[in-house]
Amino acid sequence: MKEKEQRTEDEDAQLVSLCKNGDVDAFEVLVKKHQKRMLNIAYRMIGSYEDACEVVQDAFVSAFKGIKNFEERAKFSTWLYTIVINLSRNRLKQLEIKSHREDSSLDDPVFTDDSQITVEPASDEPSVLERLKKRDVQKKVQECIHALDNESREVIVLRDIQNFSYDEISDMLKIPEGTVKSRLFRARYSLKDCLKNVMGDL
Amino acid sequence: MECADIQKKLSAYIDDAISPEERMLIDEHLTSCQECSVSLSDMRKTLEYIQKLEDIEPPPWLTQKVMARIRLEAKPKRGILQKLFYPLHIKLPIEAAAVFLIAVAALYIFKTIQPEVKLTQMPSEEMKTQIPSQEKDRIPAIVETEPVPSKPAEKPLFAKKPEVTERVTEAPKAPPPVAKEDETRPSAGAVAKDEQRTEVLSRAKAMAERKEERISLTINVKDIKTAGREVEKALMQLNGQIIRTESFENREIITAKLDSKKLKNFIDKLKLIGEVKEVALDGLEGNIEISIEIVKTSPHLQ
Repeated sequence: MKEKEQRTEDEDAQLVSLCKNGDVDAFEVLVKKHQKRMLNIAYRMIGSYEDACEVVQDAFVSAFKGIKNFEERAKFSTWLYTIVINLSRNRLKQLEIKSHREDSSLDDPVFTDDSQITVEPASDEPSVLERLKKRDVQKKVQECIHALDNESREVIVLRDIQNFSYDEISDMLKIPEGTVKSRLFRARYSLKDCLKNVMGDL
Repeated sequence: MECADIQKKLSAYIDDAISPEERMLIDEHLTSCQECSVSLSDMRKTLEYIQKLEDIEPPPWLTQKVMARIRLEAKPKRGILQKLFYPLHIKLPIEAAAVFLIAVAALYIFKTIQPEVKLTQMPSEEMKTQIPSQEKDRIPAIVETEPVPSKPAEKPLFAKKPEVTERVTEAPKAPPPVAKEDETRPSAGAVAKDEQRTEVLSRAKAMAERKEERISLTINVKDIKTAGREVEKALMQLNGQIIRTESFENREIITAKLDSKKLKNFIDKLKLIGEVKEVALDGLEGNIEISIEIVKTSPHLQ
């Protein structure tokens, strides 16, 4: 994954310089290229498909606005993912305030994510039961990820879901690599405990 | 190494983010410690679960929605860019071109309108004999500016001006300039000034002279009506042909044709009628057109 990113870097740089000259079509190429990963980061961080989609849109818009100030010291993708992480954090704060205010009514679905059901592609698995089980497991994992504190969730999403290197995560979160390591250790232990509780056994 | 220390490092151990020495120590510990081995396998299973999470697909409208917002964003930006940079790169040349075009158009309009202006001025010039002398002073003055090196932009305007004005006065109404010419010729410096005129001009003059000539005379009298009749009578006696008589409040203008040979005689007769302003009569040939302005003598002049 890391190698792939590095290979595509030059390609991005060319498109980025076109974007800096106001080339909207070049930006569209970048949008198409990065939107899936952006959405997955936002979705795993926020836990809501709709909110994630909105955050991704906002992230692209602010990336376009700020692309002139983007210095090619960092990779464009890293810069882009930093934006989506920051916007996801903000969105989470907003949602927290909102849920506090509404004082979570009984009708509120807790950790439900119907969108996951809709977006899940039809798998090759023959058994409906198997599929339900799988969906159930995925849902539980997502719930556990969502139950993590924000710092832990960020490193889990970036390292274990998106497979970024320690170095890249350190760049995106603006924290030293040692902190990435310790946060990751803490996050993985919390996640392991959560999964054990939710599923009975690993 | 304690179990707690080992377990802290298991996360990095899985990622292979530890030194070879540490790895050796952990490997060694794991063979002997059941608890730590379970911890490691639990963590590996946990990560497996996470990594099995399926990627979600972006909705098909996401790109379109993003790009719609981007294009909206890009439009006002272009407006700002236009404001900031167009005056420097594109607008200025357009403005310069516009100014140039306006200048050219103005010059062209000025040139095309000028003859009309001159033509309307013509009758008044005929009446006032002092005008030609003014004209005389003006034209050489303009011609004199020609050799002076001036700005290139101004040059065509000044260089062409005298030519244009002259052509206008000589072409449609040939007689008046000739009359002026003849009147003013004997005056001091007139000949010298003539030499300063362009060749084109003098040639045109010569051509005009061969045609019908025209002079203006002014007589100061006490009684305009009586003098008018006397003048008419004098013209008749000399076989002159009265073209028209124009009466004004304090003056009368009689325009007539007369043989130039009889002109001197005519002027002598006029002198009997009133006070004649002397005019040049040299070099006149054939029939000439005379306009006699009979002006009532002002009391203070008497």
